[in-house]
Amino acid sequence: MKISKNIFIRLSALAFALVLSSCSDKLDSQEGQLNTGDIDYTDASQMVEPLIGAYSEISSLGWEEPLLLGVRGDDVNAGGLGDQPLYAETDLFNYNKDFWMYNQVWNSHYNDVINMNTAILQIENFMEFANEADFERGQQYVAEIQVIRAWLHLNLARTWEDIFIITSNQPEAELEQGVATKEEVMQFISDQMDEAIPHLPDMRPNQRPDLTGGITRYTAYALKAMAQQELQNYQGVADATGAIISSGLFSLYPDFYQLFKKPGELSNESLWELQYSDYGTASGGEFYHNYDPFGPQNWTPARANASSGWGFYEPSMKFIGFMLDRNETVRLQTSVLFTPDGINAIRAEGYTVPGFVSNVTPSGDVINNYVRADFASGKHYLPSIQLTEGRNSYGGGKNFIIIRYAEILLMYAEALTRGASGTAMTATEAVNLVRERADMPALSGVTTQDVLDEKFAELAMEWGIRYYDMIRLDNYNELSYDGRTFTAADEYLPYPQAQVDALPLEATEVDRNTAMNNVLSTLNR
Amino acid sequence: MKIKLLALLAFLLTTVAYAQQPKTITGTVVDPDGMPLPGAEVKVIGKEIFDITDFDGKFTLEGVVEGDTFRITFLGFQPQELPVVDADDYAITLETDAATLDEVVVVGYGTQRKADLTGSIVSIQAEEIEKTPTSNVMQSLQGKVAGVQITAIGSPGDSPNVRVRGLGTYTSGTNVLYVVDGALYDNIDFLSTKDIKSINVLKDASSSAIYGVRAANGVIIIETKSGRRNQKPQFEYDGYTGIQRAQDIVQMANAEQFTTMAYESGSTADIQFVLNAMQRFGRSRINPNIPAVNTDWYDEILREGIIQSHSVGVSGGGESVTYSVGTNYFSQEGILDMKNEYERFNIRSKMDVDITDRFKTGVNLVFSNATKYAPENAAWFNAYFAVPILPIIDPSNTDATPIQYANARSLGYRSPQNPFPVMDFNENRIKIRKLLATLDFQYDIIEDKLDFKTTYSHNLTALEERYVTLPYNLGFTTEVQSAIRRANNTFSNQYWDNVLTYQDQIGEHRFTAMAGTSFRDEASNNFSATGRNIAGIRFESSWYLDFADPESFNDNVSEIGRRFYGMSYFGRISYNYLDRYLLYGTFRADGSSKFTLDPWGYFPSVGIGWVLSEESFMNDVGVVDFLKFRAAWGKLGNDNVAASAGSNTITVVSVPFGDQPRTGITSTSVFSNNTWEVIEEMNFGVDLELFENRLAVTADYYIRDTENAILPVYIPIVDRSVDRNSGVIRNQGLELSANYSGSIGNDFQFSVGANFTTLENEATEIEDQRGYLDAGSAEFRQRTIEGGPLFAFYGYERLGVYQNQAQIDADPIAVANNLVPGDLIYRDQNGDGAINDEDRVILGSFLPDITYGGNIAMNYKAFDFSMNFYGQAGNKILNRRRGEIIFTNDTNMDADLAVNRWHGEGTSNIYPSSAGMRKAWNQRLSNFWVEDGDFFRIQNIQFGYTMDNENMPWTRVYLTAERPFSFFDYNGFTPEVSDGVDRQTYPVPSIYTVGVNVKF
Repeated sequence: MKISKNIFIRLSALAFALVLSSCSDKLDSQEGQLNTGDIDYTDASQMVEPLIGAYSEISSLGWEEPLLLGVRGDDVNAGGLGDQPLYAETDLFNYNKDFWMYNQVWNSHYNDVINMNTAILQIENFMEFANEADFERGQQYVAEIQVIRAWLHLNLARTWEDIFIITSNQPEAELEQGVATKEEVMQFISDQMDEAIPHLPDMRPNQRPDLTGGITRYTAYALKAMAQQELQNYQGVADATGAIISSGLFSLYPDFYQLFKKPGELSNESLWELQYSDYGTASGGEFYHNYDPFGPQNWTPARANASSGWGFYEPSMKFIGFMLDRNETVRLQTSVLFTPDGINAIRAEGYTVPGFVSNVTPSGDVINNYVRADFASGKHYLPSIQLTEGRNSYGGGKNFIIIRYAEILLMYAEALTRGASGTAMTATEAVNLVRERADMPALSGVTTQDVLDEKFAELAMEWGIRYYDMIRLDNYNELSYDGRTFTAADEYLPYPQAQVDALPLEATEVDRNTAMNNVLSTLNR
Repeated sequence: MKIKLLALLAFLLTTVAYAQQPKTITGTVVDPDGMPLPGAEVKVIGKEIFDITDFDGKFTLEGVVEGDTFRITFLGFQPQELPVVDADDYAITLETDAATLDEVVVVGYGTQRKADLTGSIVSIQAEEIEKTPTSNVMQSLQGKVAGVQITAIGSPGDSPNVRVRGLGTYTSGTNVLYVVDGALYDNIDFLSTKDIKSINVLKDASSSAIYGVRAANGVIIIETKSGRRNQKPQFEYDGYTGIQRAQDIVQMANAEQFTTMAYESGSTADIQFVLNAMQRFGRSRINPNIPAVNTDWYDEILREGIIQSHSVGVSGGGESVTYSVGTNYFSQEGILDMKNEYERFNIRSKMDVDITDRFKTGVNLVFSNATKYAPENAAWFNAYFAVPILPIIDPSNTDATPIQYANARSLGYRSPQNPFPVMDFNENRIKIRKLLATLDFQYDIIEDKLDFKTTYSHNLTALEERYVTLPYNLGFTTEVQSAIRRANNTFSNQYWDNVLTYQDQIGEHRFTAMAGTSFRDEASNNFSATGRNIAGIRFESSWYLDFADPESFNDNVSEIGRRFYGMSYFGRISYNYLDRYLLYGTFRADGSSKFTLDPWGYFPSVGIGWVLSEESFMNDVGVVDFLKFRAAWGKLGNDNVAASAGSNTITVVSVPFGDQPRTGITSTSVFSNNTWEVIEEMNFGVDLELFENRLAVTADYYIRDTENAILPVYIPIVDRSVDRNSGVIRNQGLELSANYSGSIGNDFQFSVGANFTTLENEATEIEDQRGYLDAGSAEFRQRTIEGGPLFAFYGYERLGVYQNQAQIDADPIAVANNLVPGDLIYRDQNGDGAINDEDRVILGSFLPDITYGGNIAMNYKAFDFSMNFYGQAGNKILNRRRGEIIFTNDTNMDADLAVNRWHGEGTSNIYPSSAGMRKAWNQRLSNFWVEDGDFFRIQNIQFGYTMDNENMPWTRVYLTAERPFSFFDYNGFTPEVSDGVDRQTYPVPSIYTVGVNVKF
């Protein structure tokens, strides 16, 4: 009895000891988790991974982002009436700061900004241990991300005017400093691009050997030009766009219709496009943008079972009339998908409908009537026959062009008509290059208005370019169309309510723009 | 031999005083019916003489002297004390114990007399559990325990939502901790109601603090059945079978009402759709303005389901062994008309062996093998919005294969709507296999005083999931490809507990001290893969990923693994002086690898009790049999929160460059470094028994604070929030329960019970720059404001409906917003003459303010009858089905909304007009969509008849009606929605069964 008791006590003592020792060291690590500290920063071959991650972040757009950024122009209407009524109200310049889309677009842009900053920090970690060549490569990667970050700031400032500039991934301090004016933001973008340009490769994106379609020096010039244009510093625009033109690297893709389809992906016209793909496989991993909102809601696709869209992005009758008045052909046919009802509506407006205006697209897809809208965006349309076999998503795998050479040419031309000097070519030459591709007769002695009309015809439905041109020029008449009345107060969206609550802004009686500015200036003091 | 030696010793000591002749007495212990009670404990007070009654209820006590007192105790009966007198043979009848104060309750790593408790613990015995026909034991507790809110769930095999004392955590992990024979679970769907001996709910922090960091959401200790010593084998069969029916089915607008709404909407599109339907399906003969189709979708997708359960078991014991083995088969069909059912087969075995007098061992095994075919819950929502002018089958939809289901796109609607394709072409099978294996050894180091027990248990769960989508085409570009998703989840949790217990009595001081350690290792692994384009998909024999297109695995294979370790040290002291003054304390130190930077937490508790009825001055108060005041304080931890990363983490991503995938990484910019939530609770209670223990009343009041509550703190400008310890959540409430049992004559016994609970849930502190936390989507906002309840519905207060133009003209708000009659009137909360987001207020919480329950039971001769009821009040439900009109406003709606819409002055002051429902103004979240969830329900009625005579085994047949009647105003199937957001809640059916129970 005695012995067994002792053995038992000893055994249990041993057991306790085992428990203690086996366990306390298990409390300080976690399985199934990879931490940033686990990366081997001395291995420069991995340095590209945070950059690829940055491209992945920027390509993961929400479906609402291009919609909200683009919908307010006179080229496009909300469509989809009845669904997302506050989106339709936005198109009518009735803004509601509680609308989720505003907050979503604000958040996802800033979230991407923070992610860009985080990626830069990761790359800088590698650069600390890198040799000279790798260090330079790291500088290039950082510069690429700076370009992406500049575009995000550009969108934010175009939409909300005064916004925060965020360059760190712990933004508390930068938030304390308050918002920067739109001018400051544009200057920041321009300066950033000046910093980035020397580090970026001197080639077209489709010439990049390492990351096909990645950002190059000319993407940075384009962003700089856009910022300068917002600042109405037209010489700056002419210089930056002139640098792109003078490089001789870029040219317009000959087929305007296919430019927005698979054949036109990563063409010599592209300065930057978001890339999507299913890698040609019927199933398995795909990386898609959701084009559904752009698509017609009812169609008979040439390839069976291809899905239709939501009908949320409808080219305006104003735009269609403008194009018909100009005798546009390929650009109208490319920009608009017509329903039979829509064609009737054009007739009802008193137009003679040309033969190419049909509810059958050049690729054989038949657009049927649907109640939400009469037209759908053709530039965001991928013919069903170009879908990978077995894939049905609307626009599945189609790239999304952000900046193309035609816009550069027209920005250059506008700058020159406004008195800037440029040596690359004349304004007329630039405009005619664009017109030639569109089967339009050459002009001589182009005016600013000619260029703006050309921009309208060439770039409609793309990223709200039209709208931002109109508010840059305070051309409220153009925006007061189809019963809308546009005033200066409508230029920018109100800050989302959730942001007003979250950021150290007092939610006082605020009348959209002016009072908000007071609050912001208080904040800036 | 040992007993005899001790007896001799005791004899020597006591005979100094009395010097009487020791003798041997015998006796028989029976129950009030005269049946022998085997296994009762008979003990001479103050001496080490005791025995346990044998099969015939007989006992023998050697070496007693006249003047000794012996005490007979048996669980469930009132203990009795008798003096040793002249007689040598005693016939003793034990009375059933109404008060059960002497019963022993399981308190975690040990037991305690109920009379000694200072915290709040409720025990439920097997008989009460078995009345409910259910797969899940917790369902049978609904309405029976004050302070425990159980939300029933309709889907077969799923577990009801259980909340103990409100909602104390924000981010996740509201799971109660279940301790099944020592092993820890957060889900007990593997137990059959027939496996269970008792359920002990440890409600307050002082009671559950012994489980430290796991106990935050309450602890429920479950003992499975075991045998008794010296018990003849008792065989038992218990089984029932019955049907389940959906109750309170939501009446949808029929074709006529729907068409009227569409015409009144003023939307050309909606009218066009109706015209399309008339074109496609013809016009009704009765009313040529409506289509000749009138589908009642709920009626179509519902069915009656069979439920059945069969249990066979045997238990018993000998001198040194007890055993209980059994098996149970349970099956339940869902009421959704698809492959939707649950089937479970359980075996269990529990055995305890005395290896020597002091060395004992026990082994316990429960194995459960279940198969669940999960419903497609989307069907509930589809059936709500599918238009009644769409048939199920549309022969003209010739593109549709393999069945020509109707597609609402054929009428112009955006989605196919028809719920049948998802029901028919999906099969969701989940095989659930769970094993609980426990082995323990116990050694009495000092007999009856000091013992050591070590317990190892392993619970293994394997979930094998297979989700099959058959290919189908609905026409109108609605094609679905075949796919199989497989997921294998393995949870392997090991626990090793070592407990040393010392109990002693010195004079009138009785005390127990316990110390122990617990090591836990909880690992889980999830492996899943999805394959598409399955070859031979029409045959179940090829439902394997091997037959999928290999390309489809790209990006569709994932594995996630987790392993957490925990180490704990704990102790408990309970002290009782004169049965009057009680003191209780526990302490637990917990280490957890979930919080890598600061793994250790310390959780103390104390409790005091004063049994007033034992005081001499209370002797004269005849009606009071027992009165105890108690107060307790305790701290608990909650590690049932997401592990904190401790630093930035990496995610691997893939993105195309020139149509080639490239792999990169993204890393987080914010991370959490949290410690556990700490719950601190004060509990004050009174136990009172009156009228010879017939009336028992218990009242508890508690204040329960969750400190360091992990809240999703909003990170400004970034599209995310980060979980941080940053707030305080308070739950407080009063819990009352009362039971009265009595009898009239010998043949009629009855009991009546009721319980009542209040709950006040509040976020008392939120460290967020905004001072509030948002949940839900922007359109259906749930906001937690400092001082308000968690996840409160947040929106506008509807005052009524504008009835006429004069009313519009008189209201500047209406004029400013271009409103028309038929639009909603909102309260301008801040009186600034405008309706904007400043006018939003808390519209209510999904947590009920009051829950109550009760029961009535009667026995007359061989007949028995019982009824339970349950109700709650003060909770709100977001009728999200109605609210979805903001996304798609041309779909169907319930008849109440359609009929009672505003359609002219005086027609409605609650619902907007048909056109108004499509207008953003009326689509703001308001109490138009947030409805009262109050309800009262007859929970269970059971009627039984017992046949007990010599010629046949003891047999009881019974009829049960579960949830036969509910009363509520809410416009949905059921007011039981665990999170208060009702979009596609599976309806909870009524169940009617007949059963038989046989013992021999």
